[in-house]
Amino acid sequence: MLRIKDLEAGYDELNVLKGIDLEVKAGEIVALIGPNGAGKSTVIKSVYDLATVTGGSINFKGKDITGIKTHELLELGINFVTQGRVVFGELQVKENLEIGGDLIKDRDIVEKKLGAVYAKFPALKEKENTLAYTLSGGQRQQLALGRALMNDPSLLLLDEPSLGLSPKLQKELFKTIKDLKKDGISILIVEQNAKKAIEIADRTYLLENGSVALTGGKEIVKHKVIKSVYLGG
Amino acid sequence: MAIIGQLFVNGLIAGSIYALVASGFSLIYATNRFLHLAHGTTVAVGAYLLFALFSVLGIPFFVSALVAIILTGLFGLLMNRAIYSPLRKRKASNIVLLIASLALLSLTENIIMLIAGPGVKSIGWLPTKTGIHIGGAIITPLQIAIIVISVVLMILLYLFMKKTKLGRDMRAVADNKELASIAGINPIRISDYSFMIGSAIAGVAGILIGLEQNLFPTMGVMLIIKGFTGAVIGGMTSVPGAVVGSYIVGVIENLGILWLPSGYKDAIAFALLFVFILWKPTGLFGFNKGVKDA
Repeated sequence: MLRIKDLEAGYDELNVLKGIDLEVKAGEIVALIGPNGAGKSTVIKSVYDLATVTGGSINFKGKDITGIKTHELLELGINFVTQGRVVFGELQVKENLEIGGDLIKDRDIVEKKLGAVYAKFPALKEKENTLAYTLSGGQRQQLALGRALMNDPSLLLLDEPSLGLSPKLQKELFKTIKDLKKDGISILIVEQNAKKAIEIADRTYLLENGSVALTGGKEIVKHKVIKSVYLGG
Repeated sequence: MAIIGQLFVNGLIAGSIYALVASGFSLIYATNRFLHLAHGTTVAVGAYLLFALFSVLGIPFFVSALVAIILTGLFGLLMNRAIYSPLRKRKASNIVLLIASLALLSLTENIIMLIAGPGVKSIGWLPTKTGIHIGGAIITPLQIAIIVISVVLMILLYLFMKKTKLGRDMRAVADNKELASIAGINPIRISDYSFMIGSAIAGVAGILIGLEQNLFPTMGVMLIIKGFTGAVIGGMTSVPGAVVGSYIVGVIENLGILWLPSGYKDAIAFALLFVFILWKPTGLFGFNKGVKDA
């Protein structure tokens, strides 16, 4: 589904990624873990044309998408949930969601999608007419996710979704992500919670200093580097 | 005490014009995040277009007015496409864009001067009428029309921002431009629309001023300062705030005449601007971030 080859990318003069190979197959959850500054988020931002790609290629469903503008990627079925639970604070909850479903021309289908998101996140339904900045952290995360789900994505990019959430909310979040996989959505997730990420992911990539240091399935959790550095033991 | 009533009415008339200038300016600022000071000269373009179409070419008034408004909107689009967009593509800073807007202001004034000459012009559509007495204040039918048109237009703008998809997308871009593009909104399209709509409203302001006063090429400078002050008082990114702020400027500068010679009217507006920039830079309705619309 998503195939990244020899990707070099960064911001202005700063080169962050030094040749990354990465693949997300259909229906897979793939996790990106690693220390701060390793370039995890930059991988996602490169896909979404928010970082400057200086080398390599990014293919989605066999098509080279390098350099496709941010606002055009939604049409391809790739949605991005940014770090920090960012929502349109000055817009109503419902408006936030409707923006996500704008590509759907049929109003009935939009209503249906809206219903599906509300079924998944009932708190949003209760607050549909309030301004989004009044939501709690967990609800904001739900809204950010809900917005991305409105357009029936085939690939979801999640940047540090658990960051700053309470353990209870983190648990709920990871359950939601697993549910999304069951709905047939492929997911590329950048996570600081390495243990949880490995647990829900089909495959995990460990990034260090802009390169892939290690990759593998769930068994990666037993690897000594992961054990000692990322799982604190 | 009749004088207070009269000054208040004068303030409302001035405020109505400032509100038209400020609402477009604030709309453009909210979605583009730089000070488009050339917006003042857009008002002059609107007024001079009406002069050219109606007074020179003799086209019927309402047709001339409508065409002038549309052309002024397109003039705004042209400024964005020809000057600002290429600069932003090269990642120009807001200071560069601000300087570009000043250059545009001066350039447009000079083009008007070149074509129409430096002297004052008048539209000459309505004969000067004696005013109607309302509670001790005198107001002409044209002045009533200015207030009514301004208020109706502001209500329409509010409904447009609240009820239409395009308005919602504009609020989304004003709130968070990066998230807006991630959510599939084309920021360039929204930028173009905000320039078009904001400039068309400035065109309406130009027409109303043209009917009430004489035209001169540099007429936009004072207007954008007043409109800018109104927008700062309202909180810059809040369009309704800019409207309220503009009425405050209009009323206060006119009531100030009670204590100061009328020549100090503009100084009162500047004083207000400084007070807000120094002590309440977020304005009355503004947020540090995003746009408030209620």
